[in-house]
Amino acid sequence: MKQLIALEVNGDMHEIAVEADATLLSVLRDNLGLIGTKRGCDSGGCGCCTVHIDGKAMYSCMMYALSAQGRKITTIEGLGSAEKLDPVQDAFVKEGAVQCGYCTCGMIMTAKQLLHDNPHPVEEAIRHGIAGNLCRCTGYHKIVEAIKTAAGN
Amino acid sequence: MTNLNVVGKSVLRQDAYEKVVGGKGFPVNISLPGMLHGKMLRSPYPHARILSIDTSRAEKLPGVKAVMTPKDVPQIIFNPIFFMPADSMAIHRDMLILSDTVRFAGQPVAAVAATTVAIAEQALSLIDVEYEELPAVFDPEDAMKEGAPEIHAGVKNNIRATPSFGAGDVEQGFKEADYVFEGTYETQRVHTCYMEPRVCVSDTDSSGHVTIYSSIAHLFGLRERLAYALGLPVSKVTAIQAPYTGGSFGSKLDLAYIEALSALLSAKTKKPVRLEHTRYEDFICNARHPMKVYLKTGVKKDGTITARYASTLCDTSAYSAHGPEVIMVHAYFGLMLGYRAPHTKWEGTVVYTNNMPGGAFRGYGAPQAAFAVESQIDEICEKLGFDPIEFRLKNTPRQGDPHPFNPEWKLGGYALDQCLTKGAERMGWSNRAKAGSASGTKKRGIGMAAHPIWVSGCVGFPDIYEHSGAIIRLNVDGTAYLSSATMDIGSGQNTTLCQIAAEELGLKFESVRMAPGNTDNLPFDAPTHASRVTYSSGNAVKVAAADAKKNLLEVAAIVMEANAADLEVRDGMITVKGAPAKAMSVADVVKRAESPFMVVGAQGPTPTTLKEKGTIMGISSVAPPANASPAVAEFVEVEVDTETGQVKVLRAVYAHDLGRVVNPAAAQGQVEGGLQQGIGYALMEQMLFDPETGACLTSDFLDYKMPTAVEMPSKIECIFIESNEPTGPYGAKSLSEACLIVPAPAIANAIYNAIGVRFHSLPITPEKILAALGKL
Amino acid sequence: MALVKLKEFCIPDKPEQVDACVAKYGENALILAGGSFIHGLEARGLLSEVEALVDIRKLGFAGVTAAAGGLHIGAMTTFAQLEQLPELGSAPWLGALKDALTYPPMQIKNAATVGGCLAAACPFFDIPTALLALDCKLSTNKAGAKREMNLADLFSGLFENSLEPGELIIEAKLAKPAGRAASAFIKLEGTANDLAIVNAAAYIALDGSGQCQEARITLGGGVGDNVVRSSSAEQVLLGQKLTEELLQRAADAVGQDIQPMADHRASAAYRLAMAKVFTKRALSLALSRLN
Repeated sequence: MKQLIALEVNGDMHEIAVEADATLLSVLRDNLGLIGTKRGCDSGGCGCCTVHIDGKAMYSCMMYALSAQGRKITTIEGLGSAEKLDPVQDAFVKEGAVQCGYCTCGMIMTAKQLLHDNPHPVEEAIRHGIAGNLCRCTGYHKIVEAIKTAAGN
Repeated sequence: MTNLNVVGKSVLRQDAYEKVVGGKGFPVNISLPGMLHGKMLRSPYPHARILSIDTSRAEKLPGVKAVMTPKDVPQIIFNPIFFMPADSMAIHRDMLILSDTVRFAGQPVAAVAATTVAIAEQALSLIDVEYEELPAVFDPEDAMKEGAPEIHAGVKNNIRATPSFGAGDVEQGFKEADYVFEGTYETQRVHTCYMEPRVCVSDTDSSGHVTIYSSIAHLFGLRERLAYALGLPVSKVTAIQAPYTGGSFGSKLDLAYIEALSALLSAKTKKPVRLEHTRYEDFICNARHPMKVYLKTGVKKDGTITARYASTLCDTSAYSAHGPEVIMVHAYFGLMLGYRAPHTKWEGTVVYTNNMPGGAFRGYGAPQAAFAVESQIDEICEKLGFDPIEFRLKNTPRQGDPHPFNPEWKLGGYALDQCLTKGAERMGWSNRAKAGSASGTKKRGIGMAAHPIWVSGCVGFPDIYEHSGAIIRLNVDGTAYLSSATMDIGSGQNTTLCQIAAEELGLKFESVRMAPGNTDNLPFDAPTHASRVTYSSGNAVKVAAADAKKNLLEVAAIVMEANAADLEVRDGMITVKGAPAKAMSVADVVKRAESPFMVVGAQGPTPTTLKEKGTIMGISSVAPPANASPAVAEFVEVEVDTETGQVKVLRAVYAHDLGRVVNPAAAQGQVEGGLQQGIGYALMEQMLFDPETGACLTSDFLDYKMPTAVEMPSKIECIFIESNEPTGPYGAKSLSEACLIVPAPAIANAIYNAIGVRFHSLPITPEKILAALGKL
Repeated sequence: MALVKLKEFCIPDKPEQVDACVAKYGENALILAGGSFIHGLEARGLLSEVEALVDIRKLGFAGVTAAAGGLHIGAMTTFAQLEQLPELGSAPWLGALKDALTYPPMQIKNAATVGGCLAAACPFFDIPTALLALDCKLSTNKAGAKREMNLADLFSGLFENSLEPGELIIEAKLAKPAGRAASAFIKLEGTANDLAIVNAAAYIALDGSGQCQEARITLGGGVGDNVVRSSSAEQVLLGQKLTEELLQRAADAVGQDIQPMADHRASAAYRLAMAKVFTKRALSLALSRLN
């Protein structure tokens, strides 16, 4: 049985009919076409699906769409502007932190909160901060460098 | 080589801008109008015969459009691997799209297409399958015993293949030795863990023509193998190239059940059908072959190797697939070619079990071999008091020597010596302490491993596709489109190939764009595998670009009233040598070539000549000229907590002769990523299965552990040595796989240096270390 | 993946609505707090009977009150919110909680709640080990009826708690110790994104003469069906001056109270050995916080 819900994503309100067990991840991708949020494991293990909920980085595969009602959801599409990348996005490009790129959007969403909470993190804090996001291409080295660059370190 | 403008620069990846804002080009995003969603029903049993399948309840579920069982699929026996001809005699065909016999836990037995994923999943629960369970065997040594379950009819003792080769007289070689070392080295089953799930959408039209969008790493392989399995001519299959995919590392080099089933479900429903793996399905799709290597080496007092004997037991799993091929690459390039030995012999055994399928994984058999070879060299050096660097230098081929695989070729550019010496210097190798001499509970150690001979492609192996093609088209705005059937699986080959094209054409990097195509309009290319793209596809791109440039300059010569031979192109401007004032932009020349018979200028209509006319293009389809061998040495420092057995890799120095660095940042990225996979292989990653049911216990990231950013060292230093390979594009050889071949033995050797304990099996878990220290 | 029998997803505004939903579905109603563990269970097919999910986020129960007598932690307080509490940085007796909160990845800290984490009764979690060492008490509520219980009494088996259907944890309470006290927590994990293979927390309080007057040593990570308290280890310490040698003896005694399990992540023997090592490390860390 589908239910009609309203979700606020990137500042826009959407009315969507969803199954009770639909995850926020599936609704973002399949109903709203916000394909920047990636499905990597569906069990909170990889971090590809990280979005911000009320400003906090969370796994969208771990949240039911119904539970996301009334909360402000930000996806990678909500960062930066049409004219300008967000500084974290820009740093990921310039530092070569993107390889296959499948983890990238989730990693950037995590990095955004990391830098919000701790604008000048030491390397260890960066590494622990992104421990909930897996990457199989980069060895994380250039991702860490990109976050340092975005922090202006 | 001097005066390179684009090659050698860390230009920014073309696709990075798109990927940081969402990455719409991933195959997982493909959605077609009217598309249905497929799901597969999988066997809970590792070995069973299907007695009956009743799909009637599933078919009645609203939204279900098709159900497929073994009787509905072509009974064509195939081998799924892409990079060899489908009918090659060098591989074994033993798979069906759906079979009445299940040979591993999780093998698909039926499939459904429905209007939603949820309905498809529900339909699976309504399919009634009656199985006759058969005895299963999971250990390859047990599988060879008399009385073991027969997994494939007529394959005696489940032994699929017993290849061997050798040179000289190995017994004589051991007689000539002053010392003989032997040991057995075991490696585990690990998964590539690409991040983007395997996914495909097939759209089969009413004439039976299949169009498929997929996440695979070989466009033409998919076309050929899918056509073969479906019983179609290749011209009835079109594989569409994705602009990029979310990782492969070898895993996406064979036909999975999803591609064949989506095509069949699409044919049955006349609608596009999409199938996407869950992470569990990805985990049990394919994995690196576990191998057990026995290695025996004879050494003279002066450190000269006299003889090497090795045998390898390879668990090829439920199906042959890569098994008989991966063991050959393992034996030649992993075990036997790296160090000189006048007398050699190798014997391999490829065995069926009821385990999940084996697949390709970066290094393709070499990591299993390097663990044995490089560990044993460390043992030899420790016992006989040789410096491990000197020992390797003494026993490896040098630049200019005949190539050990085929003496008709030379090792053109080949600087293993520099890899060893420069890497050792950077790491501070000379300060290395005696093994086990560290004090305290946390002990540090330094270790190294080399991989002297690896491939830049696969020239010389029977029946492996090698050639590459490229098309270059120049635009009237002075830019160029490059098309190549190479799949960019993340390592950035689209960028490096564009750099090669730009360099050859005399354009700025920004002026060359990769334009995706499909198997209908692209020339053949071999897969993204075997560290081959920069070298093999790069050569093809260079040839196509040279062809386009020749055509460009012929037109320019007419327009500029000069000899084509006197013209040169740089940064998009064509100039006459020695007369720099006489210049014309590439854009203007191309515009002229594309123009109509008459062009209207300020002076009115002016005729152009026929000779100038037409799109300026270049095209190539060429095989690589040789097997340019990269060489590598890696040095690592570890810290072992002797109370817990935990190992932290503190630092890595990686030295690699890759001929020419096309893009330094991208090259570093390969090294850093390879180290992540290598640390995982060395210390933690392993796929585990229930010993009774064969069910995978490590099918998500809660249970399958790979390094996070915290487990990675903050110091990863790359030393790239540019030996300028004569046969490579701008001197380039290859890079990617070696980055994962050397870390595990280097770490094992460093652990030995730290605590004085040698490990002969991977992964070296904290528990194994503690047990070896006598603390359990 | 899907919850195949799911019929209803309740998001009650008031506690009474929880009761209504639970009355309808009984044992097959699952309370959803932060939701960070449910998908792992679901993926393993452990929730196939669930017919109703009850998301209790709107009921409140969030926030921490730091009273003179200690801390009252609302059950729906997330790990991230709790981590912000200034007292965690300044009070040595809360060291175990502070330590345990550093381990989970950011996304889990933002989602997971203290009450949900306790009610899950998962032996591999960290916060329960830390809170048990701090002698945590719980307040629960079922249909308006309140109940107080010791945290130890919440756990009744592997993934089993002793709550009645519809009974919710609303608060976790920590009493501030009178004397000099400190605690610490430490965890063995495969990677920085892992459930515990073994974890240990130690709480010690010293009297005026520097002798141990109170000790609580707790262990998790598969050393029993739930978090285990090691009274044998505690007995070694009580009334004694805490030397390194004594801490080691206490750590060695934990083996008498735990029953390590063997699984694909570790053998029982390794868990036993690590339980001792990590108990010793937790004790040493706690002791260092008293100096």
